[in-house]
Amino acid sequence: MKDVAVIGTAQTPFKTHYADKNYVELCQDAAVAALAQARLSPDDIDAVVFSMAPTEFMGVNDADRWAVDSVFAAGKPFMRVHTGGATGGSALQAGYAHVASGMYQTVLVVGADRVSETPDAQHVLNLIWDRFYEHDFALNTITMAAMGAQRYMQRYQVTEEQFAKVVVDARRKAARNPYAHLRKLVTVEDVLNSPPVSSPYKLFEICPRSSGAAAMVLSSAEAVKGSGYTNPAWITGASSITHTVFLGDRMGYWASTELADHDGCFLAAQEAYRQARITDPVRQVQVAEVYDPFSSFLFQQLESLGFCGRGEAAAISDDGGFDLDCDIVAANPSGGTLCTNPIGVTGLVRAIDAANQIMGQAGDMQVRGVKNAIATAIGGSEQFFTCTVFSNDHH
Amino acid sequence: MDLYVIGLAVHPPKPRIEDKRLEEVVFDVTRAALDDAGLEQGEVGQVTIAGCDELDGRSISSMLLAMPSGAYLKDETKCTDAGLMAFCLAAMRAEAGFGDPSLVVSWNKNSTAPFDNVMSMRADPFFVRPIGMNSVVADGLFATAQLTQGVTEDEAADWVVHYQTRAARNPRGLSLAISSAAEIAGSPCLATPLRRGHCASLSDGAAAIVLASGRWLASRPNVRPLARVAGLGWRTDQYQLGGRRLADMAAFRGAFRDALARAGRDMIAIDAVELDSQTGFHAAAYARALEGLPADRIAPSGGPFAQNPYFCTGLVHAAEATLQVSAKAGRTQIQGARLAAAHSAHGFAQQGHVTVLLESC
Repeated sequence: MKDVAVIGTAQTPFKTHYADKNYVELCQDAAVAALAQARLSPDDIDAVVFSMAPTEFMGVNDADRWAVDSVFAAGKPFMRVHTGGATGGSALQAGYAHVASGMYQTVLVVGADRVSETPDAQHVLNLIWDRFYEHDFALNTITMAAMGAQRYMQRYQVTEEQFAKVVVDARRKAARNPYAHLRKLVTVEDVLNSPPVSSPYKLFEICPRSSGAAAMVLSSAEAVKGSGYTNPAWITGASSITHTVFLGDRMGYWASTELADHDGCFLAAQEAYRQARITDPVRQVQVAEVYDPFSSFLFQQLESLGFCGRGEAAAISDDGGFDLDCDIVAANPSGGTLCTNPIGVTGLVRAIDAANQIMGQAGDMQVRGVKNAIATAIGGSEQFFTCTVFSNDHH
Repeated sequence: MDLYVIGLAVHPPKPRIEDKRLEEVVFDVTRAALDDAGLEQGEVGQVTIAGCDELDGRSISSMLLAMPSGAYLKDETKCTDAGLMAFCLAAMRAEAGFGDPSLVVSWNKNSTAPFDNVMSMRADPFFVRPIGMNSVVADGLFATAQLTQGVTEDEAADWVVHYQTRAARNPRGLSLAISSAAEIAGSPCLATPLRRGHCASLSDGAAAIVLASGRWLASRPNVRPLARVAGLGWRTDQYQLGGRRLADMAAFRGAFRDALARAGRDMIAIDAVELDSQTGFHAAAYARALEGLPADRIAPSGGPFAQNPYFCTGLVHAAEATLQVSAKAGRTQIQGARLAAAHSAHGFAQQGHVTVLLESC
């Protein structure tokens, strides 16, 4: 198995709508910028992995093929990966497999999303559910996540005010992120007084519908050595876990896992940590870029990733324990998914923000002394979990 | 690659599978492949699936279909290009340490999908969709481009008969009637010069394949592999349907070239090749591009004319190629076959091509 390094990352600014660019032009912006940072030309890329979630958001089926020429993939090996919200994490891991398997030296992972092209993303996201049993009772990703949040609140006595503080913290961090979609500061009162959507979530506790693109260049150790690139982020752990689609099968006496705990994230992290030789996350991991499209997701994942015990994250958050200069872990220095959610590349953006911390190029978001950083992604019915570890050294 | 096929299953094809939901089709073929390998779901290391949301009628079809594919609490991912692409991704994931053994699953229930609408929605909304592009029009343009390369309508019809004749012998096929050249020439015109008689019919189906590394096999001396994965290759051509793109078939040639290079073999070493020839014109063009490979080695199963679960036809071909090199193909067996190729195409006018080479053990 070959060592794999990140040598180039890029993302466009994320916003509601790009009126001046179409889908494939957005993809090209990210691809060009990532190649420039890696100091490579398109001819240096051996293969391309495309990151794209449901195509209904754009209204073009398999828009990845439309983008082939724009991301310099014509004539090359090219594939698209799609695991819903986890797509970016899965595409990154597919790119990793290209290089780690020894089949390719340098791979571009790229994609884009235009979630707001559709009048109502949640209408599209109702279509992910079963046609016969679930379509007709308003199940979408918000109502789905709200049920898990309620269970988490009941299980660990977490309050709506504690979820609201997560949003306040995310916006404060996103204000330092030039690419973030929502950067306006809010207060706990603002969050609590925003319109209710699906209990316990209020509007400000739900991610925006973002448009934009992201790209990452992965390379083998041999290619890195030959290029003279001095500060890559090494991928030292990569794992994913798939769960049953049925939420009800993940709770109660007969369930082998617990919906409220995001146990899939725990299982994926255990394997990624094993590969990365991480035995004490609090001591060894400095940054966690976790997939948190809703205010409740941060606590569930930080607990699953081993930064604290079950039900402890809210109190730690209240005390600032996940801020950039804290002793436990800097959680989402970028502002996370609560502030930016271009679904098809959100997992890739998480990975880019984590890798940038290792590469020392996170700008105003930079955390000092980062040796290991984690990126997660979640898709489906909180069902597909990816966990990837980036490190400043490889073994 | 130190990777082997240790089990496989192809769901019995039908023009329309009416007695099962899609997840039941997927479960049955997955269970059958695991049984063929002598494995339980808990022993699987990783799962790689391929599905098409639009043809499945769900925005994230793997939500429902990952579990019947054996992925419950497993490391699983999905690609959306073609069933055979999942084979390639699974092989890379196996080599990269994502899990061992590996399960590859793909499916397609065309009968419940608005196929033509799905294909037309693949066209970009600014330049191509307004002029009515869909898969039939794209195949017609491909056929026109191949006429400029010397392919004739008679040649295309001869290849249809070639495929149909072999398909009729295939116990795993639909047992469809064999056309005459006159019937093909008299069939309705779809997109000049393409006629209905040139085209393979769509069907419902699914396939699953179990892969394992040499190291895993060493720990299970009672498991006998069916085939070794000798080489993989996949390439994608440009999106625009220009004359050069349609005539040159650069991606087709590139996918075979890559797979053969990885296997360290020449084209002429291929004893059997299962090609994703959706029309007689594709069959003729592919045969010409295979650098003189004898016709009796081409499409022993009948390819898409035997069964054509469009999205996963290539993975069915991987199963057929495995059967060839393990001498288990029955009435379609090419005697002494030691190296077999499976091919898949995807996208408008076959923008993307995938090739997998399987070798006898």
